[in-house]
Amino acid sequence: MSGAPLAPRDFEMTLRRVGEERYHHRHPFNLRMHEGALTPGEIRTWVSNRYYYQTRIPIKDGLILAKSQDAVFRRAWISRIHDHDGTRPGEGGLALWLALADAVGLERARVESLRDVLPGVRRACDAYVELVASSDLLAAVASSLTELFAADIMPVRIAAFEKHYPWVRTSGLEYFRTRTVQAPADAAYGLAFVLREARTREDQERCERALLRKCEILWSLLDAVEASGARPRLSRHAQARLDDAEPMVVLPERALRLRGSGPELLALCDGHRSAAEIAEAMRARHPDAASAWDDAHDFLDAMRAQGVLEANAG
Amino acid sequence: MSAPRPYNLVAELTYRCPLRCVYCSNPVGWRDVPDALCGAQWTRAFREAAALGVVHVGLTGGEPTLHPDLDEIVSGAADAGLYVHLVTAGTTQTRADLARLRERGLRSVQLSFQDAQSEPGDRIAGARVHAKKLAFAESVRAVDLPLTLNVVLHRHNLERVGELIALARELGAGRLELANAQYDGMASVNRAALLPTRAQLDAAAEVVARATAEARKPEILWVLPDYWRDRPKPCMGGWARRTLVLAPDGVALPCHAAAGLPGLEFWRFPQRTLAECWRDAPGMNAFRGESWMREPCRSCPERGRDFGGCRCQAFRMAGDAALTDPACALSPRHELVLAARAEAERDAPAFVYRGDRSLATIHP
Repeated sequence: MSGAPLAPRDFEMTLRRVGEERYHHRHPFNLRMHEGALTPGEIRTWVSNRYYYQTRIPIKDGLILAKSQDAVFRRAWISRIHDHDGTRPGEGGLALWLALADAVGLERARVESLRDVLPGVRRACDAYVELVASSDLLAAVASSLTELFAADIMPVRIAAFEKHYPWVRTSGLEYFRTRTVQAPADAAYGLAFVLREARTREDQERCERALLRKCEILWSLLDAVEASGARPRLSRHAQARLDDAEPMVVLPERALRLRGSGPELLALCDGHRSAAEIAEAMRARHPDAASAWDDAHDFLDAMRAQGVLEANAG
Repeated sequence: MSAPRPYNLVAELTYRCPLRCVYCSNPVGWRDVPDALCGAQWTRAFREAAALGVVHVGLTGGEPTLHPDLDEIVSGAADAGLYVHLVTAGTTQTRADLARLRERGLRSVQLSFQDAQSEPGDRIAGARVHAKKLAFAESVRAVDLPLTLNVVLHRHNLERVGELIALARELGAGRLELANAQYDGMASVNRAALLPTRAQLDAAAEVVARATAEARKPEILWVLPDYWRDRPKPCMGGWARRTLVLAPDGVALPCHAAAGLPGLEFWRFPQRTLAECWRDAPGMNAFRGESWMREPCRSCPERGRDFGGCRCQAFRMAGDAALTDPACALSPRHELVLAARAEAERDAPAFVYRGDRSLATIHP
């Protein structure tokens, strides 16, 4: 199946095409963010969830470091960890993200507690760390090449925040400003490495797959953030039987059994409450069930995927 | 005797049909089965089915829309609280008809296609219907009903599985059932003409896998047919376990083909209540649960999953409905299925159409 390797220029084109088609700059949530259409609540949800992603970055970079036998590579790559964690408390990308959290009106300690991280976001970020952990050095570096496309998104984002979200203090935008400088440099290093080290067509295809997978992960992170703001209601094609001895939802040519708190959750899907509000209600109603909030989000995600729920955004 | 809760009712309103498909799963002797139930009787059946636990009804046939009381039947099913699903060939109803049926409580539609192209499709159906189906599919979507396409696969259309997927996408179908032919009814008459080759099946499976990886819609149902799998299909999810079939003459059955099994006594609605027909008819209990099983099924760890396969296939191929389905590699009669596979690699004979007079002499 694999033939001769692509010339470096063509290989780079292929990688850039993956980004053009699949990077999250096309995601509806990002489009709405940049159009100025997000509510303060949606901005806050995004900031507090994306914080979990930020915490994973030095960990995946540590994993990448540990894969390399080359001191030159490690010396270059370790700067990413320094950039992100800083060299003393209060510095670095992670601290800048917390400054953004302050600027959008979130409570810093609550963000750091990760209590509000949506289960779908947690899964996406953990999947990224797992992708890097289970890949060889080449594919792991290739998965970081989304930085190639991040450079373009940052100026758009800064402009959008300044124009549409004046309630966000500009001091909070420092993270984005820093990334407009760091991302291109990091991306250039990673790209040069991948173009050089992918020697066979098979290597190149492995890199494409890793980059594509990373794009999917970023996409699903925003899916989860977006879903938490949507206001789910029963699909017009679904019939709920919540009072049945075996509660279930009937759909064209199939039925889904609702277990545990499923009927209670579905009853809350009235098209007015957001998924986030429903999950909060479940947390409040079931203080003894540690996973009530996570379970609620997971259930709503699963029901939407099955066509049981429809939702209007925001 | 206690019986499991049926969830699904297959309501065969009539065996009449404008199509003459060479693989029709209706009994070969369909002409002798009268449309015995009127709208009021179907409505009563739906109420009794709902009381038994049924939540979903498929109105099917034949062509169910040929029943003169269709409107009343749809309303009756919806009023009983059932999810109303119509299984049709799509040649009889206009957009206005569909809008009216939706108003009465119809919730989803399954439309059959014989092929992705009109010429071979019409040849399989024995009637000029393909173009009508395209228009019908559009009407279904226009009145906002979820659409499933169902295509019976065989050696003459397996090569166009990719086109069928494209067609389903184009028509806005949420589901595409790629149903490899089951060899009962007319399909057993035409088995040698329909059996695909292994190479055809493998190629189609690859096309399906690629399409599934590419996009989530339509959801594609594809199962390698039991003849080639060495494992029997879990026919009907178990005999008289989840699905109740009510034939046009009011006979309650565990599957649409069970009336063809000799020596089984099934009961007729409304002469008996639906609950009696389901729970107590000797035929319903003949293969319910596991006590009827012989070896190798009786001690098989798979028996709770595949239920020993298809009783009709065991009877048709091996002459005894209580045997392990010969599709199973553990069946002592598995050579019958291996012979059918070999038969598939030979040239196919001509079709016999449903309704052909010659059938009377082949299957008196």
